[in-house]
Amino acid sequence: MSSADAHSRKRTSEEKKGRPPAEEARRAPYRLLAAAWLVPGLGHWILGKRTRAIVFLAVIFAAFITGVLLDGEIGTPKPQSPFSWLAAFACLGNGLLSIIRLVWLNGVGGLLSNLPFGLQGGGSPSAAGFAYGNTFLYTAGLMNLLAVLDVADIARGDKD
Amino acid sequence: MDHLLLMIWHAFLVSAFFAFLWRSSAVGRKNLFLKTFLIMVVGSAALGWLMYPFP
Repeated sequence: MSSADAHSRKRTSEEKKGRPPAEEARRAPYRLLAAAWLVPGLGHWILGKRTRAIVFLAVIFAAFITGVLLDGEIGTPKPQSPFSWLAAFACLGNGLLSIIRLVWLNGVGGLLSNLPFGLQGGGSPSAAGFAYGNTFLYTAGLMNLLAVLDVADIARGDKD
Repeated sequence: MDHLLLMIWHAFLVSAFFAFLWRSSAVGRKNLFLKTFLIMVVGSAALGWLMYPFP
């Protein structure tokens, strides 16, 4: 099969999906982004950015553990508090770390049956480090989300 | 619980993250790390002193 045939076949498959070829080529793979979100640094590791991957994993893991040790609360949505959705979004940015912590606190059954408003986020509001712990947890999650965006930029070729 | 130590630890982590996110060369990373780390630590201490007279 000639290269012209291969090119023609590729263009046809992209046209079937209803997307222009240029846009298809610039789209970052969803599985790569999901991996980058679930495990901090994994997206960079897959793309060959090993140093960055190790530093991101170490920094985000350290921030998350510090937050938990300071009695911080994993943000969960609460019906009477609209801002709790922002906290939940920031904490969910931690990927598997956040999910494991929620399973640790609620159990698998509790996690599934109490979604979205009945989840326990842990932490102790009366603890001296509660506010600091929350800050570390939010920071860790938001840093991981920025790392996911960085993976998307690298995968699209917008950044090296 | 040492508040200053926690602030320095937080500044260290955030500075390291952004140094590796935004710079590719070792020199660039070192410079950005030092700049952001010092701005966060010294800036927070300065803000604390400025807020001292307020109740």
